Amino acid sequence: MKIKEGYILKEVAGSNVVLPVGEEVLNFNGMASLNAAGAFLFKKMQEDVTEEQLVQALLDTYEIDAETAERDVAKFVNKIKGAGLIE
Amino acid sequence: MNRQTSRYRVADINLIMTTECERTEKRAEKYLVKSPGIDFDKTAEVIELPAGMAEEESSKYVGVQPDDVEYMLTGRAFYTILLKYYGLMLHSSAVVVDGYAYLFSADSGTGKSTHTELWLKYFKDRAFIINDDKPALRKTDGKWYVYGTPWSGKNNINVNTRAELGAIVFLERSENNWIEKMTPQEAIPKFMAQTVRKLQRKEDISAMLSILSAVLEENPIYRLGCDISEEAVITSYEAIRKV
Repeated sequence: MKIKEGYILKEVAGSNVVLPVGEEVLNFNGMASLNAAGAFLFKKMQEDVTEEQLVQALLDTYEIDAETAERDVAKFVNKIKGAGLIE
Repeated sequence: MNRQTSRYRVADINLIMTTECERTEKRAEKYLVKSPGIDFDKTAEVIELPAGMAEEESSKYVGVQPDDVEYMLTGRAFYTILLKYYGLMLHSSAVVVDGYAYLFSADSGTGKSTHTELWLKYFKDRAFIINDDKPALRKTDGKWYVYGTPWSGKNNINVNTRAELGAIVFLERSENNWIEKMTPQEAIPKFMAQTVRKLQRKEDISAMLSILSAVLEENPIYRLGCDISEEAVITSYEAIRKV
């Protein structure tokens, strides 16, 4: 699972903003803003990863339990899929 | 079609622009450089649409003239170039009072020009509109400036000068008059909705976001709810005035 080419994640005034570039501007109207964990997952998903790897990455970086990590990843992946950002 | 190339200076940027339609050429007249220096062409940016493009594009839409297409596309080209000069366009009506520019931004039809007209009425010769629709906002020598440009909306109200930025205000209609400060984070989607956002190149998007970040962190940003009374002017001016 990987985020499509054509999306840029950048910090703007302390917020993490996602914007489409090039042809993707026609498919994605507007912008998304992410919290710190969201930005972390987004960056990981710019390479091909599995949900299990994302959960592991969260566990390695944040002090949370496995259950919370799985739930957060599932929620985030759903959101990103819903927005049509997955290849 | 009378294709011609002229030299201009807009927002302190040297431009060589080729036009075919009357409107863009006429509106850019105030920005003509009469005697370009020897280095002008070396430092200039070029805006040149392919020959016949305005006519061809306009024929695809009912009620759209080549003039409209050329004016829109040259404007878009200019505001994309502006990104290279640490500048951004904000869709707003920009009024200057006592030397400071105040930008009132909103969707078309909300009443930003109506609000700045009220400022003109109230402040009389202390005030003028520097750009009624698409001012350029640019940081040079550590300060943020607002510039008039040839692209200023249907009424063609712009002055070829610059003024230091006083404040950015996102305006909405309201039955009473109120104003509140916005955090940079709150202002991101507001600003983003009123600038050139659909950029093709990654480096342009990246530049836009960097400049946006600086604009929002280094300047006061407000949200204003207003009607069309004199009280609306006083409410906003008293909160945002620089002098």
